[in-house]
Amino acid sequence: MSDQVLNVEKLYVDIPVSEGILHAVDGISLHVNRGETLCIVGESGCGKSLTSLAIMDLLPKKAVRKVNSLELCGESILECTEQEMSDIRGNRMGMIFQEPMTSLNPSFTVENQMVETLSRHRGVTGQEASNLAVQMLERVGIEPATQRLRQYPHQLSGGLRQRVMIAMTLLCNPELIIADEPTTALDVTIQAQILRLLRELQSDFKMGLMLITHDMGVVASVADRVAVMYAGQVVEEGPVLEIFDNPTHPYTRGLMRCIPIPGKIDRTKPLGTIPGMVPSLVGEFSRCRFDGRWESGASGSSVKTTSLAPLQGKNRSFSVDESPKHFVHFCCDDCLHKSGHQIGEDLAQ
Amino acid sequence: MSEVIINAENVVKDYSLSQGVFRKKEILRAVDGVSLKVLRGEVLALVGESGCGKTTLAKIILGLLPQTSGFVQLNGQLLNQIPRLKLAKMVQPVFQDPYSSLNPRKTIGSIITLPLTVQGDRNPQTWENRVRKTMDLVGLHQRMFHQYPNQLSGGQRQRVAIARALINRPAVVICDEPTSALDVSVQSQILNLLNELRKELNLTYIIISHNLAVVEHMASRVAVMYFGKMVEEAETSTLFSQPKHSYTQKLLNSILTPDPRQGIPDKLKTA
Repeated sequence: MSDQVLNVEKLYVDIPVSEGILHAVDGISLHVNRGETLCIVGESGCGKSLTSLAIMDLLPKKAVRKVNSLELCGESILECTEQEMSDIRGNRMGMIFQEPMTSLNPSFTVENQMVETLSRHRGVTGQEASNLAVQMLERVGIEPATQRLRQYPHQLSGGLRQRVMIAMTLLCNPELIIADEPTTALDVTIQAQILRLLRELQSDFKMGLMLITHDMGVVASVADRVAVMYAGQVVEEGPVLEIFDNPTHPYTRGLMRCIPIPGKIDRTKPLGTIPGMVPSLVGEFSRCRFDGRWESGASGSSVKTTSLAPLQGKNRSFSVDESPKHFVHFCCDDCLHKSGHQIGEDLAQ
Repeated sequence: MSEVIINAENVVKDYSLSQGVFRKKEILRAVDGVSLKVLRGEVLALVGESGCGKTTLAKIILGLLPQTSGFVQLNGQLLNQIPRLKLAKMVQPVFQDPYSSLNPRKTIGSIITLPLTVQGDRNPQTWENRVRKTMDLVGLHQRMFHQYPNQLSGGQRQRVAIARALINRPAVVICDEPTSALDVSVQSQILNLLNELRKELNLTYIIISHNLAVVEHMASRVAVMYFGKMVEEAETSTLFSQPKHSYTQKLLNSILTPDPRQGIPDKLKTA
C-alpha cells in the first residue's frame, strides 16, 4: 500500500472573470503522507482554499479544474463520477471548515447530522448509529455526550461546534482530512485545545491531515511539513524546522519577518513588512510575481544565501542545502538571480 | 506628564434578554463594575475571550452605548455631559473589518471627508487639501481619492478607516481588533503605521485584541477582562512575565509561538 494518502500533480484552477481568465491555482503539486500534517500557508487570495476545494471536487461551477494526476491512497480519483465522488467525500476524505456555525445545519440536531453521515456511508442506522455518534463525541472531549447529541448547533459554543465538526468528520475513519482554517474563528484558549485534539486524533487514527492556515503560530505548533503558497504557486516546501530555520524563498523570508514572536519582541523597532501588493492573477504574467515586493535595502551582501541544487526535470526548482525534502520553486529567472543563492553547476546546461 | 485622559469608575452595562412575549426578561451583565484609567500617550490593550465585554466597554467609552451605572470621564469631564459632536472629535474608532466598515457607494475621498462635514468644519475650501494630507500620512496613494472601497485591498481599506478616524485629530483612538481581518504581511504594515502615527500625533490608543503577540508588540499596559470583570491590569512586561490571575495564565499559556520546537502549549496544570 502506498504511503501517500494524497498526491496531486500539476493542479490548475482557472476562473473566467470579466477581464479575462484568473489563474487562481497555477500548477501546484502536493502530497500528504499517512499520519502526516501538511500545512499550507499563504496570504488571502493565493489559492489555498481553492486548492482544497479542487481536491474535493467542490469548486464553484464556473471554475475550471485541470490536473495531471490526483490520487487518494494510490488510486486515481480523477475519473470519478459525481456519485463516486460523493461516496468518497465525508467517507475517505473529510473536510473541516473555518466557520462551524455555517457548516452545521441549524435546523437539525447534532444526532440527526451525525447519524446521516453514518447511514449514508456505512449503512449503519438506528440505535447503533447513535451509539457510535456518542462514542465519537466522547472521543473529541464533549461531555455529557448523550445530552449534547440532542442539541441544535445554536445551543453549542464555537469551540463545541468545531469539536462536533471534527467528530462528524472522524465518524467514517477517513484517510485524509482537509481542515481549512479550523481555528481562525475561535478564541486563543480554545484554539490551542482544538489543535491539540486534532494532533492527538491524527496520530491515533493514522490519518493524513492537510491544514490550511495563515497563522505561523499554528504552523509551528502542528505541522510536520509546510508548503508556502504565493500567487497561485507553491514557492517553498519542506519539513517545518527547515522552513523556519532556513527560509529560502524571498516570500517565505518576508513572512517570517512579519510575525511578532512572543517573548522576543523588540518594541523599539518596527516589525518587518513585505512591501507592495499581491499581483493580480488575471491573464498571463509578463513580469516576475514577486516584482516590487523585495525587502527594501536587500542587497546581495546583507542577505543570507544558501546553496541550491537543481531538481531534475523541473525548471527553476531546487533542493535547499542538499536536503532531500526542502524544495524551493522560483517563478522566473529574474527572482532566482535576485535572491542571490548559489546554484549548483547543473543549471548551466 | 502622566495625565489621566479617560477615567472609568465602576462601569456596569446590563442587557435585557427577551425570553418570549410573556416571560420575564432576563438580565445579562455584559460589563460588571469595570474601573479603568488611561493615561495620555499610552497604549492600553484590552484582552479577553469573545463575549467578555471588551467591545461593549469600548462602545461605552465611544459614547455609542449608555452605561447602566457608573461613570466615564474624558479629560475630567463626564462623558454624558459632552455633546455628541464634541465627543466624536475627541474619541474615534477603527473597526475590525474594513470590508464592512466603509460605505461601498462612496469614494475614498468622500469617506475621509465625512467627519469634517459632520463636524461642520468652517473652511470647506481646505477640506480636500486636509484629506489629501491625511491620506499621505497613512500611506494612501493620491490617485485613490476618487476610487471606491471595492478597488482597494484589505490593508488599504484599513488605512482609509484610520485616515477617517484621524482627520479631526482626535486625542484617543479605539482600535477594535484592527488587524485580525488582515493577512500577516499586511498586519505588520498596519501595526507599524499605528505606532508611527501615535508618536507623530501624540495619540492615545485603546487596542482590543485577542492576538497576544500583537498586544505584546503594541501595548504599554494590558487589562485582562473575563466575564465582564477586569481581572488583571499591569504593565505589558510585568503581565507577560508574572501573570497573577489564573485566567491570564491560561491565556498566556495558549499562545502559539511561531517556533516549531515548542509545539502546542500544554494544558495548564491547575490545582
